[in-house]
Amino acid sequence: MKNLVRLILGIICWYSWGIQANPVVYQYDNNLNEGANFFQEQRTLNIYSTVDLDAFEPLLKAFVENHPSTKLAYHDVNSLELYHKVIAEKDRPKASLIVSSAMDLQLKLVNEGLAKTYQSSMTQALPDMAKWRSQIFAFSLEPVVMLVNQTLFPGDELPDNRLDLLKIMRQYSQAFQGKIGTYDIRTSGVGYLLASQDARQADATWGRLIEAFGSHQVQTYCCTSAMIDDVAAGDLLLGYNLVGSYAHKRALGDPRLTMIMPSDYTLLMMRSALIPKLAPNAEDAGIFIDFLLSEKAQNLMLDKNLLFPIGDASQATDISAKRSHPTRIIELDQQLLVGRDHAKQSRFIRSWESALELSELD
Amino acid sequence: MWQRSANLADIEALELNKAPSLRKRFILAGSGIIAVIALIAINLVFNYSQRLADLSYDRLLLSALWQMDENILVEEGRLSIDIPWSAFSTLAQANEDRIFYRVESSSEGYITGNKRLMSSPPAQAELGKPHFYNQNFSGEPIRIVWLERAVTKANIQGTVTILLAQTRLSRDAMASSITTRAVQVILLIAIVAVLLIILGSHLVLNPLHRIEELLEERQPGDLTPIKLDTPKETYQLKVALNHFMARLHKNLEQLENYTAESAHQLRTPLASLKALAENARDQTTPERQQEALEQIVQQSETLSETVTILLNQAVVSHRLQTQRLVPLDLVELIKQSCMAQAVSALRQGIHLSFESTETEVFILGEAFSLQQMLNNLVDNAVRYSAIKAVTDDKAKMVEIHIRQDGRSVILSVIDYGDGIADDKKNRVFERFYRANYEISGTGVGLAMVKEITDRHRAHIKISDTQPSGATISVDFPLFINNETEL
Repeated sequence: MKNLVRLILGIICWYSWGIQANPVVYQYDNNLNEGANFFQEQRTLNIYSTVDLDAFEPLLKAFVENHPSTKLAYHDVNSLELYHKVIAEKDRPKASLIVSSAMDLQLKLVNEGLAKTYQSSMTQALPDMAKWRSQIFAFSLEPVVMLVNQTLFPGDELPDNRLDLLKIMRQYSQAFQGKIGTYDIRTSGVGYLLASQDARQADATWGRLIEAFGSHQVQTYCCTSAMIDDVAAGDLLLGYNLVGSYAHKRALGDPRLTMIMPSDYTLLMMRSALIPKLAPNAEDAGIFIDFLLSEKAQNLMLDKNLLFPIGDASQATDISAKRSHPTRIIELDQQLLVGRDHAKQSRFIRSWESALELSELD
Repeated sequence: MWQRSANLADIEALELNKAPSLRKRFILAGSGIIAVIALIAINLVFNYSQRLADLSYDRLLLSALWQMDENILVEEGRLSIDIPWSAFSTLAQANEDRIFYRVESSSEGYITGNKRLMSSPPAQAELGKPHFYNQNFSGEPIRIVWLERAVTKANIQGTVTILLAQTRLSRDAMASSITTRAVQVILLIAIVAVLLIILGSHLVLNPLHRIEELLEERQPGDLTPIKLDTPKETYQLKVALNHFMARLHKNLEQLENYTAESAHQLRTPLASLKALAENARDQTTPERQQEALEQIVQQSETLSETVTILLNQAVVSHRLQTQRLVPLDLVELIKQSCMAQAVSALRQGIHLSFESTETEVFILGEAFSLQQMLNNLVDNAVRYSAIKAVTDDKAKMVEIHIRQDGRSVILSVIDYGDGIADDKKNRVFERFYRANYEISGTGVGLAMVKEITDRHRAHIKISDTQPSGATISVDFPLFINNETEL
């Protein structure tokens, strides 16, 4: 049963990457004045990104409107895949901009010397924790949350924190069987980042949590959106470690869904962008980074509930500040390398697999 | 006259322009030394700041290394490592520096980390002791700490090696911030020092300018000592100037006396000439007239002699002041001089004899004045001998000897006349002093001799000849070839 689910998920994921092999192209709509086609020599900016197209599309459209001479080719790639792709293409990069929420992998690329230095007044305004070496820049800061289907959730109260969740799971053990979803840290870069940060923040809680997940036959996912779909559909009672912006947007439009920011601690993660060292179109990539950090783009993220803007970090922390519980910002610095240490990573995945009673992948 | 002084002013101005400036030299030398010191200091600061930065950041690196080292563990019978988060948070203090590491063991090889980071141990590798070294990696210079140690875990033999490295951005930033600040301070000090030198040179040279102004403002004849409060350093200059002026004053006085005496010397024979001429005019008999005219001729000869001596003295003085002393053979010079005088001596019944122990002997001298000196000495000796009553043949001899004694050459002129009384020996060199007024003479001869011997750095001495007479010996320093001239 478990294996079947994973197989199906795997197919879905593969299928979705397959689709994205053909990029979605955005360009300035100049059909209206075809007679005066100024932009015959349009430059193309290839973007590899892990951001769901739904969340990114309005930004891409806004960009081409402002920069009609640039054509955007958007490749939606899974975060782990993205990392390997950048390394594989390091000598002849296809993409000039790499956008990912897997901060540790992004930072590792920079540490390997694969990123190009870019500096502008916009990047210089960023706080230190949101950039590194002027080669990687965060443009959104968002909480890592739990999402519950409150109509189906057993008990009177929704869990407020991880210990609450453990208690409720013990109490309604039967109801939770197979009804909890979280990232598959083996296939999702951001999933691994969040799990390793959990383990770092509260090792004991994390151990008990995955122990409990294992005994309740947790479902593993490649992506936040798939988890949200399943929570909304009632296939899951709770999704753990979801990217806040997606969950927030869906919860706003669906009364069954409630987003919970754990009150013991809430992780805050960033989405970051970098320019490959030998990027063919580094100039436009820089312009795009400036655009992402611009007030216009940041406001757009906020207004349309796309992402939580980095420029207004208070927005992301506001929600949590109301409950006055601690937030743990995952900063863009060298410590992220530890989580991706070869020995540590395989040990962590092994212990995760054994706790979740999953057999090894491959 | 006006024209000439204008030219003189022009020449002075030109000379002033060409002349090296003491103040400029002082400032240049001072600034040069300060520049050298500043450069050395800056160089030291460069090295020091680099070392300091390495020292500081090496501590971070080492601390992270030990944290890693503590977390070497055995996992399912294999060596592994669980790198603590804190290790890299230590390293993250170097904000922008990339981190590379590699862990391997002698039994299993690569365990974790960067595969491209080569673990070539430093030459003087020692187990259990961390080593630091620099290398280029991934396009950047990096600082590596390397540790190999024996494994102390059960059942596992061999060693484990940890390499931990970071790029040098923070180190370089720290070093350059230290350097920048230090260089600023050094430059500031250097500039202040140069300003102080400029100011100091002004202050130091100020007393000189004051003395200069004071001298410029003086009346032409004013040779009184300078009365000016000067610092110690220029006090000696003031004293020397005052001494010089005192000497000048004395010389001027002497010159005045000399002129007066010379005039007097000339006036007496002129008056006597006039008297003789009147006498001749008034004589009635041709015989008497003839006799008177004879006297006039004699008197004229004496006068002419006096004038010659005065002129010679003037020439000698001038030559002594202007001519350089050159090496010359004293024997040859004296020989010739003696031959020239032998005839006139014979006329007075005196024989000259010349003896030398050397065939040639060199001194530094001026030929003309030396000849004048000898002429005077011989002439004196001949005169003093000639008036002595003839007692024996020896009294009619004047002997001239030259001998070399160590590093000096002694010239002696020996006569057998009446000699000079002891109380007069010291006074004969005074100008216009005459030991014996019975003998004709001007009284300037020996004074001139003294002037000449002084100029030649020779000592002149008068002693008695046995049984009677005077010996005048002049003691010249010997000229030795290749020796620096006087």
